[in-house]
Amino acid sequence: MFNLIKKDLIIQKTQLLLFISLIIFLVFFARDISPILIFLVAGAYISANAYVYDGMAESNILLNSLPYTRKLIVASRYIGAMVYMILSMAMAGGVLYLFDYGYNMMDIAIAAGLFFIFAAFAFPLFYILKPAYIGVVMFIGMIVLAIGFQPAARFLEEHLATITNFIAGLSTTMLYFSGAAIAIGLYLISWVISQFIYQRKVF
Amino acid sequence: MGVENVIELRGVSKALKAFTINNMDLQIKQGFVTGFIGANGAGKSTTMKLIMNLLQPDSGEVSVFGLDYASHEKEIKNRIGFVYDSNVFYESLNLKDIGRIVAPAYKNWDQKQFKAYVDQFELPLNKPIKKFSKGMQMKASIAIALSHDAELIIMDEPTAGLDPTSRRELLDIFQEVMVDGKRTILFSTHITSDLERIADFIVLIDKGEILFDKPVYELQEQYAVVKGSTELLDSDTEPHFIKIERSPNGFHALTKDAAKVKEVFGKHVVIEEASLEEIMFYMKGVQNQYD
Repeated sequence: MFNLIKKDLIIQKTQLLLFISLIIFLVFFARDISPILIFLVAGAYISANAYVYDGMAESNILLNSLPYTRKLIVASRYIGAMVYMILSMAMAGGVLYLFDYGYNMMDIAIAAGLFFIFAAFAFPLFYILKPAYIGVVMFIGMIVLAIGFQPAARFLEEHLATITNFIAGLSTTMLYFSGAAIAIGLYLISWVISQFIYQRKVF
Repeated sequence: MGVENVIELRGVSKALKAFTINNMDLQIKQGFVTGFIGANGAGKSTTMKLIMNLLQPDSGEVSVFGLDYASHEKEIKNRIGFVYDSNVFYESLNLKDIGRIVAPAYKNWDQKQFKAYVDQFELPLNKPIKKFSKGMQMKASIAIALSHDAELIIMDEPTAGLDPTSRRELLDIFQEVMVDGKRTILFSTHITSDLERIADFIVLIDKGEILFDKPVYELQEQYAVVKGSTELLDSDTEPHFIKIERSPNGFHALTKDAAKVKEVFGKHVVIEEASLEEIMFYMKGVQNQYD
């Protein structure tokens, strides 16, 4: 398991430099971007890249010819995504702190929650889609997320007053816990679905 | 004790979009080199994938080392070295990094052995795999397959797309590897001349069906290409042949009982040893000759 997770780092050694420059770029040239989005992009970066590499038929043939089970390959993907999310967000936090870009723990928590939800939907799709489409789907997904996130939040605030009232009525702890529970619940369901798909995949 | 089978397929069926394997039985004997031959699209790669558990059969059983994949996948794959017809390693990585990814996967990885093969094959460690020539990619793949003390080496068209010099070089390497006699090798190819030097057994597949599985010496003894005048052919003599090709100048036919043909036709026909290529050519489209 550890070997499979470590493999992504070996493959992406050079992309990690790009990763840090991407965050610095966002800090300088996208000043008004929400720190949540920066954390989300940072947290998803390694896993999204890993999917591009492992989406290729050849990589699947390699991994499945080595002494790994399909179950383990999927498990390492889901656990690895969590590990890399934590490491990347910590790194992004450090970079933002160095450049004096304001954020708080709430931003990180929301980004982590959004990452789990995003991953929960994206990962099984990646196991179904042909590798050639993954780039396109990811690109569109990122754009939709980037454009849609803030308006959607505003829309929710303005028009769904009852929901916001209900949410506002909950205690902060309660809100955090239920949000986390939903995000992690979706992630776990997604894991089971991915495993089901991957077991039946033909290379 | 008889010969043990390293690989056994029992009644395996698999339906793919363009291709079907129906109720296949296959045994690969331990300690020998088995050549797996057939035309492009005959089902070699599908069978190899079934053996590697990259594909799961719709019905029937696949066992390797007497174990099944459902409960012993890791153990089986720890004991297999694989070489595929095209590069499966992350092509942007160099061989050193690929070694770093593959090595910890195997219980018996031997870094010294790997280094020795890398030196022997003169492979660069710091160049990305995609910049390797086809021959170098194959050698890299072989170096990895041989560096974890695998008992079974599975090679799917390892010589495909190589120039004659590289092919020759690779075959020399295989021969060297097989010297110790402990290893079992299953080697698929459509270039049959590759096998005449190294194989002990030949399995011929056509349209997803195993046409025969025989020791090489038996093929050489029993199979022959027979040439003669078409006047010799009638309903009594034709059954001696597997397939007959007629032309205005006479007939060419393949027999699997050269001795009998000699007895029946005597000096009226020319009997020549059949090469694997000729056997493959004549057998294409005929029914199962497995016996």
